[in-house]
Amino acid sequence: MSAARSGAARSGAAPTGGTSLPGMALECRGVGFTYAEAESPIPALRDVSFALESGGTLALLGASGSGKSTLLQVIRGLDTAEAGAVLLDGAGPGEAAYLALQRQVGLVFQTPELQLFASTAREDVAFGPRRLGWSETAVEAAVDEALQLAGLPAAEFGDRHPYALSGGEQRRLALAGVLAMRPRLLLLDEPFVSLDPATRRELAAILARLKGAGVTLVLATHDVDLAWALCDDLLVLDEGCVATAGAWSAGPEGARVLAAHHLREPFIVDLWRRLGRDPALAPRTAAEAADALS
Amino acid sequence: MSALASDTALPLLDIAGLHYRYPGARADALAGLELSIAPGEFVAVVGANGSGKSTLARLVGGLEKPAAARRAWACGHDLLTEDGRLEARRDVGVLFQNPENQLVAECVEDDIAFGLENLGWDPAAIRARVDEMLARFHLQDLQFREPHLLSGGQKQRTALAGVLAIPRRALVLDEPTAMLDPAGRAEVLAAAARLRDEGLGVLYITQEMDEVLDADRVVALERGSVVYAGGVTGLFEQPELVRRLGLGLPPAGELALELAHRGRRLEPLPLSVDALVAALETGR
Repeated sequence: MSAARSGAARSGAAPTGGTSLPGMALECRGVGFTYAEAESPIPALRDVSFALESGGTLALLGASGSGKSTLLQVIRGLDTAEAGAVLLDGAGPGEAAYLALQRQVGLVFQTPELQLFASTAREDVAFGPRRLGWSETAVEAAVDEALQLAGLPAAEFGDRHPYALSGGEQRRLALAGVLAMRPRLLLLDEPFVSLDPATRRELAAILARLKGAGVTLVLATHDVDLAWALCDDLLVLDEGCVATAGAWSAGPEGARVLAAHHLREPFIVDLWRRLGRDPALAPRTAAEAADALS
Repeated sequence: MSALASDTALPLLDIAGLHYRYPGARADALAGLELSIAPGEFVAVVGANGSGKSTLARLVGGLEKPAAARRAWACGHDLLTEDGRLEARRDVGVLFQNPENQLVAECVEDDIAFGLENLGWDPAAIRARVDEMLARFHLQDLQFREPHLLSGGQKQRTALAGVLAIPRRALVLDEPTAMLDPAGRAEVLAAAARLRDEGLGVLYITQEMDEVLDADRVVALERGSVVYAGGVTGLFEQPELVRRLGLGLPPAGELALELAHRGRRLEPLPLSVDALVAALETGR
């Protein structure tokens, strides 16, 4: 939990190479989506509206089946909203800039390492940027930068076979494959699932660095402590509807919303309340909490 | 079949010097593993990704053949023999991480009956046993529900009911809560807690350090070997070992370590929120 912030501080915030990764503003306006192939179609998303400013960090919480993964796929453009619209930097579908903007949205699927396929780490990461039609020089630079960001420096890992990497390294390699396309908006679907605690800390530190670099992040997760450490905004989905959206406040209203949807409060917020402190002022990380308590 | 099988005083698992290597791999996935579990014991297994936890689950459940072992007994069956592994598959239930991969039938009750049908139980006995499991796992209302319409927690409870429909003596749970939301996680944890009260030996594999706190003992793996076996607090009181193993402390323990780095040492190291609150309040 603490690694998210302290890791960022240790490693420096911005990626190197002179290529900044600016964020992208995201807005969903009345988004609806129904899976057509289901025998008895149940709307997966209903009138989903929220806004996230450029460089913002959004925790997407909710029970299994509440629509989190569907929402990420619709934002990425893999599924098309049947009602409403996803606006990227204020542009809607049909506007000239939209396709180019959509290409700058990265989505890291659940267990993305299952999709690794090339015979070296470098080739696997190069697949996306090549498909975007970048020059080979640009691809090479993007691959090196992405591997570095993901904690897999090219000199050490570039020629390794993806299957010869550990589970945690494979997860980070799959992330590098998305980062190489220089996403300005990065969507992550349960990125911490099945990782050991050390690998979770490493991944949280990488995400904190991306946040520091200004990339807009949307994190769908069941891990409320890691989400609290990283995300300033909160969106709770309940059966495809928005239960709450906006700045993540740990005050009474935030506690009520989480409890109403069978979500627990972040550990530090719970601790703050039980120590008789104002939970609305609860720190984000164990390190910050320790500073306040020591 | 071993004569020892009926002697409940003996450990349910008794494994020493066990080796296993995946075909084509350059190193052993399990390298001289030692492990024992008594009836009614709830043992947590922790370790980094790739340390051998899931391989252990498959071997103990009789699903893989050990390359070698000094002893490899599961519920009195010798895992080094083909017959022993077949017997172990009946006595040792294994529940894997992803409930999607474990449900095979058209509806919840058919899924629970599946293993019993394969064992050739007569229909009346199957009916009675299925009803018992539906009640025990609070699945009566979902009896005829198709698996794909269940929540993650409901799927995992159905899978657990199916595993336990066959009378078991030991159970291996391989990260059973990893894919679940908090409500589903609570359901599965409550079901697992009831098993220990019923005298089964439970091997509980997890990456969630707060789940370890409820175990009788914890076993930590590193590169296929046991590097710690003992009390839960005994492991967490060695933060350097915990870090080396790619693990962490429960959140309260992590915060207590941060406090210790700042000169505020809490003794004994609090591992739960309750303990942390108590230690902070007495210390002021």
